[in-house]
Amino acid sequence: MKTYLLASLAILLVCCAVGPTFAADSDAEVEALVFPDSYTASSVSNGGTINGVVKFEGDVPEMKMLEITKDQAVCGATEKYDEAVVVGEGNALKNTIVYLIDISQGKDFDKATKLEMDQQGCQFTPHVQIVPVGVRLTMLNSDKVNHNVHIFSSVNKPVNKQQTKNRRKMPLAAVKKAEGPVSVKCDIHGWMSAWIAYVPHPYFAVTNEKGEFTLEDVPAGTYKLGYWHEACGSNSEAPVSVTVEAGGTVTQDFALKLK
Amino acid sequence: MIFCLTQSVKLHGWLDNVLYFRSANLRCRFAAVVLFLILGVFSMLTVADAQNAPEASEKGKEVYEQSCAHCHGTEGRGDGAAAENLLPQPRDFTRGLYKIRSTESGELPTDQDLFDIITEGMPGSSMPGWETALSANERWEVVAYIKTFHSGFKEREAPPREISLEGKIPFSEESVEIGKGLYTELGCIECHGNVGRGDGTSAPTLTDAWNFQTWPANLTQGWTYRGGADTEDIFKRFIGGIAGSPMPAFEGDSFLHFGLTSEESKRLTELENMDEMTEADEEASNQFYEKMDEAVNVALTRAEGTELTAAEQRMYDDAMKIVYEKSWHLANYVKSLMPEERPEPAIGNNVLRSQYVQGGLPTIDDAAWETSEARYFPLVGQIIVEPRQFNPTIDAISVKSFYNDTEVVFLFTWDDRTYTTGDETDETTGKPLEDALAVQFPVKVPQGPTAPKPYFLGGGRLPVYLWHWKASAPEQVTELTAKGINAAEVQEVQADLQVKSTYTDGQYQLWVKRALKTEDKKDLQLESGVFVPIAFSAWDGSNGDIDTKRTITSWYTFVLEPVPSSRRFVYPPLIALLSFGLLIGLRAAVQRKNLEKLST
Ligand code: HEC
Ligand code: HEC
Repeated sequence: MKTYLLASLAILLVCCAVGPTFAADSDAEVEALVFPDSYTASSVSNGGTINGVVKFEGDVPEMKMLEITKDQAVCGATEKYDEAVVVGEGNALKNTIVYLIDISQGKDFDKATKLEMDQQGCQFTPHVQIVPVGVRLTMLNSDKVNHNVHIFSSVNKPVNKQQTKNRRKMPLAAVKKAEGPVSVKCDIHGWMSAWIAYVPHPYFAVTNEKGEFTLEDVPAGTYKLGYWHEACGSNSEAPVSVTVEAGGTVTQDFALKLK
Repeated sequence: MIFCLTQSVKLHGWLDNVLYFRSANLRCRFAAVVLFLILGVFSMLTVADAQNAPEASEKGKEVYEQSCAHCHGTEGRGDGAAAENLLPQPRDFTRGLYKIRSTESGELPTDQDLFDIITEGMPGSSMPGWETALSANERWEVVAYIKTFHSGFKEREAPPREISLEGKIPFSEESVEIGKGLYTELGCIECHGNVGRGDGTSAPTLTDAWNFQTWPANLTQGWTYRGGADTEDIFKRFIGGIAGSPMPAFEGDSFLHFGLTSEESKRLTELENMDEMTEADEEASNQFYEKMDEAVNVALTRAEGTELTAAEQRMYDDAMKIVYEKSWHLANYVKSLMPEERPEPAIGNNVLRSQYVQGGLPTIDDAAWETSEARYFPLVGQIIVEPRQFNPTIDAISVKSFYNDTEVVFLFTWDDRTYTTGDETDETTGKPLEDALAVQFPVKVPQGPTAPKPYFLGGGRLPVYLWHWKASAPEQVTELTAKGINAAEVQEVQADLQVKSTYTDGQYQLWVKRALKTEDKKDLQLESGVFVPIAFSAWDGSNGDIDTKRTITSWYTFVLEPVPSSRRFVYPPLIALLSFGLLIGLRAAVQRKNLEKLST
């Protein structure tokens, strides 16, 4: 009885204690990619191509210089910038995922490509990495410093694993489910940030510094074409419809604004 | 007796967690024994239903809504009414991130893990222990209920993989030495610092999965660990990682040369350090790399949930045997960083005694300090006056003192993860944020227990005499007179105080020397054999401490021990009682203040 009294007293104490509120970074919910319910891989002959350019619309925000707080010799050798918005010549927007939302049948993954993400000069490269479900991603450590690879998965198991300075290659267990993009961080170097999308089919592309993307070997048909960008959001609510003809090429450009 | 009982009930209870009071001194032995027996029966009952919680039921929901929802939120999102001020925040159960697990990295906790953490609470946070407030049955019911907030529990196909505790290597100096090497090799140092005080170079920039600032544990203070500081606890924590926090998992192939025997590993290191390799060397090292790749491959296959062949299993077990050995050494090293128990606060027999020496007093780095036992003053966040500190980062201050015929010298020691000297400013006041310490004495020593107490937190009647030290002026202490927590004035006449300070590996040392007697009426005059009240405030600039937002102690006592006596100095029971009373008084003050708030 006494303990209950105490407990409720303490509850009251906690409830009525007023103090400052903490300002956590406003962590706007990250929009997710949309995956088909199922996907069957088969050989695709005479598929079409979807390509295009993603541009940034509006005043281009100045790239924020990163504050390098440790391991200066390795991390601070050159100036580093926040890669949330990377806009190139002609407003080309890098690091945008462009993908087919509703494809249920098509080619298989290219098994030969090595999937790697490097930690170089205390930045992740690439900044956005597509990883097929069931395939291992290898984390590289080109820096002679300790990193920890922290992948904030929630559908799959979250990962937070130290990759010490002498571990050049660290393959990670393959995941079972499509998910993402999920945030990747290194807590040791708090500014390091990247994204991984675990995908169930190969029709995903990430725009290069010219804003270009290409999806090849698309079976003829009409598809919803989606995009995702870290700072500009996604169009999963209202994707663009594209029709691909056998052997043909369609071009679909995008102009994205900050969320 | 009833008083004692409530004290020991509280010991694991609510208030202790909320107010960060876990002082063992409040233990009342007899009551504790009785309680222990009762709890023993409880835990026997729980062994019977160990491991798996019942199906989620109305009962669990009821318990949850009554006892947990005001912090964890009705929907388990960690957004209850009381959550606002708390750091770490009450857990958001919907993401399935659990810190204290006996399971491997990436796995959810076992039911037993959840039951245990609910029973014990999480020191260093506001998460209370429910050992006494809820029956074992109720705790199991609530375990089942909180699992419903995250679909992963229902969806998981196999029971979570638990970390094996087999093959524990007993504590020994050699083991600690090996562990120390691993602490550096694995990079614990990045966050926890050279000697574990949580002052690593990454410490100031860490955030948790909800983007709130978080600090690495001060490994030298086992009592602040969320999940217990037994060697086994430590072992499980770094192998499984602390989900939701920046703390990584250090399992299997996180260790150097996973898959090689220790001889092979040594050889490979030699080879790698060679300037020039012969063909044979090259061959040999490639073989080692292949062997490691195979071992990693097997570990990943296992992690992906694929059944291993007998040969693969053997390879995995061999590799893990070495990793587990290393892990025990590392756990032993971490264990070696902390005292066996949290030191007793400086009351009763532990009153701070300044020891008499003839001649010169020791300088800051004098070996003489080693001969004196430190007295320990636990700090709590100041939450009575605005601005308040609900999430203190300084745990306690340790003090040693010597005096001679004319002077007294103090050595104050406290852990602070960052060295902050005012480069950044407080947003509301615009004042620089910096580390600081204040030592308070009454201006006049109260005579007897009925004399008015010096002010405490604005409530008292007598002014206090203060020493104020700031990290930005490391060789200077300012004398102040204060009549309330917000009413301190710099004294016009500053005594000739000698001051030195150091900051090393997350620890401050402050050395202050003053004459026993001064000319200034506003100063405290010291006399051997007189019990003098003493209290402390500490500011951690990087934790936003400023003005009344700080950590404080209640009033304690110190005495210039009369000289020189071979007999142990006997403390009048009155003094012991007085300081005990004051400690309780601080609690009462906090309670009263909060109740006042409630009624308005
Ligand atoms: C005073 C607020 C408060 C109350 C009341 C409270 N909790 Fe908590 N709880 C917390 C905080 C804060 C944390 C997070 C601590 C941390 O992350 O270090 C937490 C964490 C937890 C965790 C996570 C443990 C882990 O391993 O990560 C569980 C489980 C939990 N609480 C269960 C409960 C249950 C069940 C109740 C009710 C019987 C309850 N809590 C009541 C504040 C509270
Ligand atoms: C990236 C930073 C980081 C690294 C590297 C790191 N830790 Fe931690 N560690 C933390 C943080 C942050 C906490 C506090 C977690 C919490 O309670 O939220 C912590 C807590 C702990 C605890 C206390 C657990 C408890 O129950 O509260 C132990 C023990 C520990 N770490 C040991 C280690 C060891 C051993 C290593 C190296 C093998 C290590 N840590 C490496 C950040 C780190």
